[in-house]
Amino acid sequence: MLALLFILFAGMAVGCAVSMVAQRNPLYSAISLIGVFISLACLYVTLAAPFIAAVQVIVYAGAIMVLVVFVIMLLNVEEEERGPLRLRSLVPIAVGLAAVLFAEAAFIIFFVQASPATPTRNISDVGLTSSIGAGLFTTYLLPFEITSILLLMAIVGAITLARRGGLLRADVAVVPGTQVLARDVLDPFVPPDTRPIVAHTTEEVEEQLGLKGVPHLRDE
Amino acid sequence: MTPQLSWYLALSAVLFTIGVVGVLIKRNVISMFMCIELMLNAVNLTFVAFSSFFRDVSGQLFVFIVMTVAAAEAAVGLGIIITIFRNRESLDVDDASVLKL
Repeated sequence: MLALLFILFAGMAVGCAVSMVAQRNPLYSAISLIGVFISLACLYVTLAAPFIAAVQVIVYAGAIMVLVVFVIMLLNVEEEERGPLRLRSLVPIAVGLAAVLFAEAAFIIFFVQASPATPTRNISDVGLTSSIGAGLFTTYLLPFEITSILLLMAIVGAITLARRGGLLRADVAVVPGTQVLARDVLDPFVPPDTRPIVAHTTEEVEEQLGLKGVPHLRDE
Repeated sequence: MTPQLSWYLALSAVLFTIGVVGVLIKRNVISMFMCIELMLNAVNLTFVAFSSFFRDVSGQLFVFIVMTVAAAEAAVGLGIIITIFRNRESLDVDDASVLKL
């Protein structure tokens, strides 16, 4: 029975993983990866680790993949196109190295003796939440605390990376709408004009401000 | 016939290899990121299998910490990806082969 479940979920995991690598659209890759995570969670259940299985679904399939899918949709990623193969001269060397690697793996599988003390598995309380919590707060307390520092650094790093530019300078003129123009683009000797500007496009704003020829408004 | 420890280790090796192949052949940063997540999960499977067969809780604690590291990596890595896309208008790793702008 367990062997059947293993074969079922292992097949699902490998199939979804191959599909993830084969897909060109990153969104389909993400969905295949969620399939891998779910089948791995089922395998954790067959390994008598229900807590890790639940955390796998909640953290990986829930939090991390939602973040990935969110970024894929935010960036509007297009399908990747097959470019020309670079470093074509290295293909024979790669084939040779792959053959060596397969030979090594075959040697290990067929010629190495099984370890004398074959571990047997029976029902135990190792995977239960209480034993994991006890281990986490006694033996592994220091790694647990270091993990909290790591998460704090990740928060700071993510905010620093995702923030767009710095703060606005004090001398910028904000045009109603979505446009922000630097004051030094305008003529500094003309007293500031505080009339509101009604415009919907950058071209209209430039026209009303008399900025048609300013080149660096159109950079970027 | 119950699953042996070697079955789980073989599955883990297969998944890890697929992840490595994905990192090598993908051009998109987000796809490479997901392949790295797949490799982390393959190692997690090894940890849980050893923990279950040897009846030692340490392996599952390591899996817990690896998941935390993966979550932190996802937050920072996706922030870096968004910054790269903002600066280069592309997610191709070949376009980002130098660190400076």
